[in-house]
Amino acid sequence: MTMQLCDTPAHELSILLRKKKISAKEIVESCLERVAAVDGRPGSLDPGENSSQDNQSVHAMITLTAEKALAQAKGLDDKVARGEPLGSLAGVPFTVKDIFCVKDTLTTAASRMLANFRAPYTATTVERMLAQDGLMIGKVNLDEYTFGSSNESTAFQPAPRNPWDTNRVPGGSSGGSAASVAAGEAAISLGTDTAGSIRQPAAFCGVVGIKPTYGRVSRYGLIAFASSLDCPGPLARNVTDAAMLLKAIAGPDRQDATAVTKAVPDYVGVLDQGVKGLRIGLSEDYFKIVYMDAETGEMLQKPVPDEVRAAVYHAAEILKAQGAEIIEDVPMPNTRYAIPAFFVISRVEAASNLHRFDGAKYGYRTAQPKRDLREMYQATRNEAFGLQPKLRILMGMYVSAAQYSEQYYSRALKVRTLIRRDFENVFDPGSSYHLDALLTPTTPTTAFEMGAVYGDSVLMQYADQFTVTANHAGIPGMTFPAGLGADGLPLGVQLLGPDFSEPILLRMGRVFEEGTQAEAWRLQKPQVLRGLA
Amino acid sequence: MSEYELVIGLETHIQLNTVTKIFCACKADSWEMEPNTNICPVCAGLPGVLPVLNEEVLRKGVLLAYAMHSEIRNVSFFDRKNYFYPDLPKGYQITQYDMSLGNGGYMDLFIPEDAGATRRVSITKLHLEEDAGKTKNAGSERLIDFNRCGVPLIEMVTGPDLRSAAEAAQYLTRLRQLLRWLGVSEADMEKGHLRCDANVSIRPVGSTQLFTKTEIKNVNSIENVRSAIELEYERQVREVEAGNRIQAWTLDWDDEKNELKKMRSKETEADYRYFREPDLLPVRLSDEWIQAVLADFPELPLHRKQRFLTDYHLTEYDADLLTTDRQLSEYFESAVKVYGGDPKKIANYLMNDVLRMLNESGKSAADTRLTPQYLADIVKMADAGKINASTAKNLLVKVEASGQAPNEIVAAEGLGQVRDDAAIRAVVEKVIAGNPKEVEAYRAGKESLIGWFTGQVMREMRGKADPKLAQEILKEILGS
Amino acid sequence: MKEEISVEVFNHLVGLAALELDAEQATYLRRELNLQLQVIHELEAIPLEEDLKINAHGVKYEASITPQLRADEWIPYEDVEAILSQVPELRDRFVVVPNIPHEKLD
Repeated sequence: MTMQLCDTPAHELSILLRKKKISAKEIVESCLERVAAVDGRPGSLDPGENSSQDNQSVHAMITLTAEKALAQAKGLDDKVARGEPLGSLAGVPFTVKDIFCVKDTLTTAASRMLANFRAPYTATTVERMLAQDGLMIGKVNLDEYTFGSSNESTAFQPAPRNPWDTNRVPGGSSGGSAASVAAGEAAISLGTDTAGSIRQPAAFCGVVGIKPTYGRVSRYGLIAFASSLDCPGPLARNVTDAAMLLKAIAGPDRQDATAVTKAVPDYVGVLDQGVKGLRIGLSEDYFKIVYMDAETGEMLQKPVPDEVRAAVYHAAEILKAQGAEIIEDVPMPNTRYAIPAFFVISRVEAASNLHRFDGAKYGYRTAQPKRDLREMYQATRNEAFGLQPKLRILMGMYVSAAQYSEQYYSRALKVRTLIRRDFENVFDPGSSYHLDALLTPTTPTTAFEMGAVYGDSVLMQYADQFTVTANHAGIPGMTFPAGLGADGLPLGVQLLGPDFSEPILLRMGRVFEEGTQAEAWRLQKPQVLRGLA
Repeated sequence: MSEYELVIGLETHIQLNTVTKIFCACKADSWEMEPNTNICPVCAGLPGVLPVLNEEVLRKGVLLAYAMHSEIRNVSFFDRKNYFYPDLPKGYQITQYDMSLGNGGYMDLFIPEDAGATRRVSITKLHLEEDAGKTKNAGSERLIDFNRCGVPLIEMVTGPDLRSAAEAAQYLTRLRQLLRWLGVSEADMEKGHLRCDANVSIRPVGSTQLFTKTEIKNVNSIENVRSAIELEYERQVREVEAGNRIQAWTLDWDDEKNELKKMRSKETEADYRYFREPDLLPVRLSDEWIQAVLADFPELPLHRKQRFLTDYHLTEYDADLLTTDRQLSEYFESAVKVYGGDPKKIANYLMNDVLRMLNESGKSAADTRLTPQYLADIVKMADAGKINASTAKNLLVKVEASGQAPNEIVAAEGLGQVRDDAAIRAVVEKVIAGNPKEVEAYRAGKESLIGWFTGQVMREMRGKADPKLAQEILKEILGS
Repeated sequence: MKEEISVEVFNHLVGLAALELDAEQATYLRRELNLQLQVIHELEAIPLEEDLKINAHGVKYEASITPQLRADEWIPYEDVEAILSQVPELRDRFVVVPNIPHEKLD
């Protein structure tokens, strides 16, 4: 069986297009066919009951932009024909998490609040992808306003399902991104990561995901969750494609005062530099989860499943074989406080960021006639926000109230400093560890079943325990597929490095990819693709 | 009533006169523009947008903070103040809370009623923030215009240090003068460039306690601030004397009826849930940067006035008037320097003629075509008797209208004073020949007619004759 | 389980948040809030140094990577009408909302 264009890696598509072996039109058509074959109906506000067909489809899409994609492909093919210079993403089909504003399409944030919203401008990241001749296939589903780790909280149902097992969640909040890439609906996707929202779904769906260093990629046009933690970043089926996308979107932006002016390295060019002499740490603090028992309120500790631990050690061996040094028992003592600190910081920022959705200027406004402004605000926000936004707003209101702010918010920010310090202590070139990266599991488990966790906001948050530390610290994190669990679902392994160490992480990821090319699990395909011709 | 003393603190919002808004590239000034035309995704609070700080706002902020003797922080922060209001599109205002650009400060006020005394008015807050939009009522609806959203403001708050409505008015007058002097704001209260809320309480004279205050809002002129405070003083005294307690109301000034109305009570401060604005980095100002901004910091009005008194021996009144406006005071000094003679003469020309001319044309001293050099030239010509006083005054107008140098105008129009004995003598003889009755009356002893004869000569010569010389010749010929 | 957020506190928060909730939502949300607060309280167990520095961001913004401030140059936005096209109720270019209640003056 020959590989279909929609399953072909982005970097290969780009070369094939340049060599005129394929056309952009063929690429887009291949992706649209794949969407038609596996995605099922797109999410909508009024979905009715799920059919059994629905339960076997991916549902990554909210808005399929087929016509635009074909028009764009036509433009690109003309460019190729005229021999004009092509951008770095020429011919690469991509999806965009529907939390980024894109002009002339809907931008919903997977919320009823913005179901009819057309942004008058395009996010910097998406603009850069389009400027590099990437082909936008559609805007994909997510947890409402990115608030979740399973994608089930989207107002646009049916919610995305895991292409490896459609009874499982794809993870979240960039679940549509991960699922669309895993299912071959596009080669790459633009997601966002606030606590693990790129890395956790990437791990669950068996793809690569990068949360770049905070400030490396502009947030302009990303509808904010927690502004001090949000990072746009790539999801892709392989390390090279992720590097390509990162290269396209990274860099300073005059519209984002937090986007750093540091020069963007050639992430693709460094990929084959190997890992010889690089020091990689393993930490016991990342092999256990600390969580609260809902009944007793007691904090419990549980080691991660053996297969998760084994996947990390396997990756360490592969890297070691290529010359990396592995350092065990690296202390990361404040890891366990990352979730409680996140509960505070992210809620304070989210509550504030959601203030602007009030029915006055855009998006949803209640249809009930209202006597006064206050009633209009309340009815609008009550009708258009789902439970997860409401929960975050209320918590944010509580912990930032003047009388509690010191006890909660200031304290959480101090804990963030401690989490950052954990990393500085081991990454500092002058320290005894002087690590180049830390290797950890991405998630404590493989993808859980639909409905298994949803509703328990505390347990859901613990899906992010190993990823959220990077958001607190601002450092980059990358997940890559590292095997399959006993349940046949992908296992992800994560690399965390110092600020702006993306090139190093990418090199390590690439070495692992090469070193495991022949392993049996690499041949496994997601469930939804197995029946396809 | 006299046993109660007023305690007043003023909260001012100052619109900075930058070209653009504080966090986006829309124009700062949208006066009289159609609603919702001067907006962009950032100031309209669209989803996904981010603020980017305008550097000029910091420059102007530093100038004002320095003038107010405020400590300029090397590191300050922006914070979010969260509340729902339709003129606030993001649902929060980006402002500075606990670590603002300026820390503390004061302004010294001369108290005219108490000659020589000064009142030090402390500054308790000096911070940067964004303005909100405008709303207006339309029956059961409210109409919103976002044009003003994001205009840079400095909020400056005084301690409860002012003791009368007149002092409050004086503070505002001095502040307005200073803002214009520094070039940081147009400071026009009617256009809302300078807005003032007054916190007013009363207490028995001699007490040092602070009592419950009311807050007066939306007053749009210095005169009205004075009236509003006076009215509120009377009301509070009436309440206290009737045995009632003052309640912490917010009062709205009704401009048309000249009265105060009670406003709906607002949320308490605790509910604003301030926290650091994560979309902006801390504002780091190096000492070098601050020094560069302050490099051409001007001499301030009160110092300049003092210097005018000692250097130029002006009267208190003149020195005050000539330093109301920075351009005027600079104009004065340049003209004095070029002129080299008695500064008082320049001052007189300025205050009697030039200022009136400027008021009529609406120009400032900086953009008049009558440059300090030209003014000095004209005064010198008059001193030397080349032109007479009325010609000099006419020349001011002509130079301003044409932009031509005064000596060129004098030459071209032949305005030079005629001192030629023969030319005047000829005209005198003509006038005497033409007015035999008056000559007879003069010679019969009605010597007061000499003025009339002089006037006739001057008229005949279109004002160019040296009037003294004309009179001498008249006397000589009439007397013979 | 200790209920830190009582019904009364909860209702205050709902008001602050400009929300209104039905009973079922209110019950669920209040329970989740209290559960999350239990987790948050774990933060109190951490010994913190007195002078521990707080940063709004994890990344250290050294001067060399910090973006310059914006120059004070006017760039008119080219698509104001697209912004207004999203307004639920627009009249004569004004955004229209219901009025704000006023207290009767005494």
